Amino acid sequence: MKGKYIVSLAFLMLAGLFVNAQQTLASIKGKQLFGDLKARHIGPALMSGRINDMAVHPTNSRIIYAGSAGGGVWKSSDAGVSFNPIFDDYCQSIGSVALDPNDPDNTIYVGTGETWTRNSVSVGDGLYKSVDGGANWAKIGFENSERIANIIVNPENSKEIYVGVLGALWGDSEERGVFKTTDGGETWEKLLYINAKTGCADLAMDPKNPNVMYASMWEFRRTGWSFDSGGENSALYKTTDGGKTWNKIHNGFPEGKLGRLAIAIAPSNSNVLYTVIEAEKDERKGLYRSDDAGESWKQLNNDFGITVRPFYFSRIVVDPRDEDVVVKGGLFGSISRDGGKTFKNLGNMHADIHDIVFSIKDSDIMYVGTDGGVYRSWDGGNTMEIVQNMPLSQFYHISIDDAEPYNVYGGLQDNGSWWGPSSSPGGVEARDWNSLGFGDGFRVLKHPTKSIVYSEMQGAQNVWRIDTEKNLVKTIQPLPTEEKQKLRFNWNAPMAVSKNQPDRFYMGSQFLHKSEDMGETWEIISPDLTTNDPAKQNQEDSGGLSTDNSGAENHTTIFTIAESPLNENVIWVGTDDGNVQVTQDGGKTWTNTIANIQGLPQNTWCYHIEASTFDSGTAYAVFDGHTQNDKTPYAYKTTDYGKTWTNIITDDVYGFARNIQEDYVNPDLLFLGTEFGLYITMDGGKNWKKFTNNMPSVAVHFIDLHKGTNDLVMGTHGRGVIILDDISPLREINEEVLNTTLHFFDTQPTVIDETSTFSGNFGTETEFKGSSRSNNVRLTYFLKKRHTFGKMGMEIKNDQGKVVATIPPGKSKGVNIVEWNYKLKQPKIATGKTFSFGGFTAPQVPAGTYTAVMTKGKQTFEHNFELVYDSKSKLSVKDRDDKNGTTMKLYDMTQDLAFLVYEVDQLLASAEENRDKKTLAKLNELKETLVITTGDNYVGSAEPQLREKMANLYSKVAASYDAPTPDDLQNLMVISERFSQAREDFTKIKNKYLKKQTVELKSFEDFLKD
Amino acid sequence: MKTIKTVFLALTLALAAPTQAQSVDEILSNYFENIGGADNFKQLEGLKFDGTGSQQGFEFPISMVQLKDGRQMFSFTFQGKEIKQGVYDGEILWNTNFMTMKAEKSDAEQTANFKLNTNDFPDSFMDYKDKGYTVELLGTETMEGADTFKVKLVKEPITVDGVEEEDVSFYYFDTEDFVPIAVEAMVRTGPAKGKMSKTVMSDYQEVDGLYFPYSTTQYVDGNLMFTMTLENIELNPTVEASEFAFPEDIAEEKE
Repeated sequence: MKGKYIVSLAFLMLAGLFVNAQQTLASIKGKQLFGDLKARHIGPALMSGRINDMAVHPTNSRIIYAGSAGGGVWKSSDAGVSFNPIFDDYCQSIGSVALDPNDPDNTIYVGTGETWTRNSVSVGDGLYKSVDGGANWAKIGFENSERIANIIVNPENSKEIYVGVLGALWGDSEERGVFKTTDGGETWEKLLYINAKTGCADLAMDPKNPNVMYASMWEFRRTGWSFDSGGENSALYKTTDGGKTWNKIHNGFPEGKLGRLAIAIAPSNSNVLYTVIEAEKDERKGLYRSDDAGESWKQLNNDFGITVRPFYFSRIVVDPRDEDVVVKGGLFGSISRDGGKTFKNLGNMHADIHDIVFSIKDSDIMYVGTDGGVYRSWDGGNTMEIVQNMPLSQFYHISIDDAEPYNVYGGLQDNGSWWGPSSSPGGVEARDWNSLGFGDGFRVLKHPTKSIVYSEMQGAQNVWRIDTEKNLVKTIQPLPTEEKQKLRFNWNAPMAVSKNQPDRFYMGSQFLHKSEDMGETWEIISPDLTTNDPAKQNQEDSGGLSTDNSGAENHTTIFTIAESPLNENVIWVGTDDGNVQVTQDGGKTWTNTIANIQGLPQNTWCYHIEASTFDSGTAYAVFDGHTQNDKTPYAYKTTDYGKTWTNIITDDVYGFARNIQEDYVNPDLLFLGTEFGLYITMDGGKNWKKFTNNMPSVAVHFIDLHKGTNDLVMGTHGRGVIILDDISPLREINEEVLNTTLHFFDTQPTVIDETSTFSGNFGTETEFKGSSRSNNVRLTYFLKKRHTFGKMGMEIKNDQGKVVATIPPGKSKGVNIVEWNYKLKQPKIATGKTFSFGGFTAPQVPAGTYTAVMTKGKQTFEHNFELVYDSKSKLSVKDRDDKNGTTMKLYDMTQDLAFLVYEVDQLLASAEENRDKKTLAKLNELKETLVITTGDNYVGSAEPQLREKMANLYSKVAASYDAPTPDDLQNLMVISERFSQAREDFTKIKNKYLKKQTVELKSFEDFLKD
Repeated sequence: MKTIKTVFLALTLALAAPTQAQSVDEILSNYFENIGGADNFKQLEGLKFDGTGSQQGFEFPISMVQLKDGRQMFSFTFQGKEIKQGVYDGEILWNTNFMTMKAEKSDAEQTANFKLNTNDFPDSFMDYKDKGYTVELLGTETMEGADTFKVKLVKEPITVDGVEEEDVSFYYFDTEDFVPIAVEAMVRTGPAKGKMSKTVMSDYQEVDGLYFPYSTTQYVDGNLMFTMTLENIELNPTVEASEFAFPEDIAEEKE
């Protein structure tokens, strides 16, 4: 009995808890809070981004999949003309995409973690499965695999799946090798494992016998300062018993250590195998072929295109219909039509070819995945055309300016440096973007006041100062000034401009370089700020079996520079080997504060330092440990110049962090860029919420906040530039707001947009077009609970209390944004045979104070807001009065004519009923002059009548930004007189007829309401 | 100690209850009960909806009729002219052409796909098993900021540009009151092919004991496309057969 009582009490307590449940910043989930705050993507897509893997549907040639290196999985349903993302909620770094051949419409597997292991690769977090063609996904294991190279479903048994796990790049891991499930992924058996440094780089199944498989095992390791490919454990294995036993098949292979190997089986003849071998001796590297299912091998080719950078290009694909047509990934991609003896380059396209698939119907049709997106060929690989709607651009960094609309600048992996508008009439198109440098692009910074932009290529090999108005370029990177001095620049070399001195420009090698004249002359203002560890400076030995000293592994360098916006003498510097240095005297003395950070592993890469805009002693430091095989997010805050640091990361954050942005108004509002998306805190880091509205789980490398618009601008490494428009409502979020039925957020005065455009309508059918920032009024409110039952509506009233618009409001729990285009309804138009197209124009309301009135059930909520004219406009008050006055005169006249025609129609109906032929004739004669009574809406149109003339003038005046022209006013007089005459004519007929008959006529007001 | 354990157990059970106790049939059963009862809905012969459509700042009157025998009609009025779209007379699916304002038949594939849905009155979930549909509870998800049950509905396969495809949609039922507040489906043709469409429902109100959403908003790829705000719902309306009929003869007469 007592027990029952306790249970009941517990339920009562719980029920009470729910009834009075107070929402807190801790309890509310991101998806319950952010509502209509939605990210906006502006690309660019013209250079797209890196593709890791491609797959074709085995029976439907329209369906193609692309797994990108940093932008998720994309599906085409139109044979590769366009693609759509289908994996946005999950890790965007993709290693492998595979379909179940027995259920290819529905069952898709995605192995995350890219497998072409360059320095800038992201990480995966497991194997995912969809059973509905990509609409929903579930993770089915391999949480710690980091990189999945292959997934193969037994074509005879869907529950039997093999997975080749390449595994961790930056450290030891036992979750690698070849795995098999026989129960559809519930349990996995590790079939082939070598050691914690050797993973499965490629896996192939004999299409005629699923028990026969080939696995290439690769010994490899990357550190922040080196790469090592190859070793005693790299090998090619074969199993003939479904993976129970594996044997090396090296008969004919080169002697010594092996590196990365690719394996391919000719689908038309499974005795024919190809492998590409990375070997000790250059002459023994290259393509090998076996005609006896791996019993013996013969070297056929070791051209540059075949042997180049094995860690980046080990993919061989055989034409499904011809065993002698072989395609190899590479710098340009190579194709052989003589069984691998000789090769020629694939057609001209973006360099760095990672995967190739043939159409299931026709081998002339190929799809190729490159560092610059997906290309199609219709002629067997000779001519390539890019897929134009995949914004996969991989930004390392972005910055913004104060233009209106502001521009975004940034550098891309293997795709140079760019700038483009954050918003553009008709949408941000490919043609809106401008190039600012070649090579790999990184930081691009606008001079604060001049039309000068700084950009760079890898390792500061070139740093350009570009006059964007005059198209003048000067190369300005700091050079050694002493005989033995060697400057160590990071691959992604840091630069910074000063908010205090516009011409000041910083760059970081191991030293901090400062220029006061835009890079013309340089001064070193620090000692070596790094650990200067010589063990991490042997890049010429990097690469393993294939030397790879591209500069990508340069280490012990400065990585981030931040001058306090409040004090030019306070400069923060973070290094890739884990130092955080600060000077408070403009570089005379430096203090390394790293020892003051508790809980941070030694030498963790300092990725970003954000100097606070509230206090010069306050800064945030973000550290990325993934190159030490540590995927923990780290972010710290100091308020005392680094003497003490406080951890501001919680368990809410998943994935290592690279960047942080402080709000300019509310110091507790912070934005964190992680490898798996954007996180937001509204309480200084006590609770973090993941932001997911149109925001993929993409690596956010850099964040900036635009002061003028409050837009949060993100440079992502895989989905281009993503903008979260106007984050100001988040400044007001607190626990009081969270528990208010409906809270209107402050609405800044909205400038009435008087511009028009004809842009955006041509040539973008298959091209990505970024959405532009809305110019409408954004009425933003928080709803404590989702509105589902009962009426809820919104009206806009002018300062006289007259309703000028009715807008359907959002009902979501959390933040809702309702937009109003500050227009009245279009006028009521007289009914004719056809449409009067001028009548579809809605007039803009004048500037002034307006009130949004929200009715929710019996409750009413009101919110005032301002509409203002653009202060830069040259229109006078009189111009606007003339425009608005004339527009409304025509608007009213149009409605008066509509009423007149209504009355004519009512009388016509009555006269017809009464067979009053004389009245009918008079009315019809009149009506034919009022509205079009014949023809159609296209080229069968009739001669325009009064309605059309009036509506066209109305539309001409209303849609123009300017005051009406003298011709407009003259035309208005003609139309007014014509209308007066028509009214007079009708009044005579009406008065005469109504003496004979009674006709029920609505009042003008009732007519308008209908 | 024992007391604390018991309370903890009770709390755990109570918290777990909303998600664990529901099977998809229970969700649907609660849904029909909460909107007025499945039997009452089954007795409906037809529905007529009148209201306002809103698209990119334009507002216009709209009307929609659905009958038990599968006949349907959607119309809107511009400048006093009625334009009918998606009119089905039991055999022919037709629309008003904007240029000529005359009726034109939909293509054979669209008509065939439309016919497959004529058994969905008054609700796709009504007797779904008898119709050969499958439903599956995929789990709980936050939709519109609310906790919802996500239910997958698979209807008869449709044909898209000559290829047969599964007709799948995802319904989000509010966990508090079991009414659907959103539906998602893939766009299968046209320029938005391959993107997700979402329809959000709210403002449920009662009409003679039955509840209907008076506000419906459609999004494609997250972008607001169209909102329909109803002012009146008529149960079992009287509609002339000629309203649905493809007006071949009428059109010819008027020429």
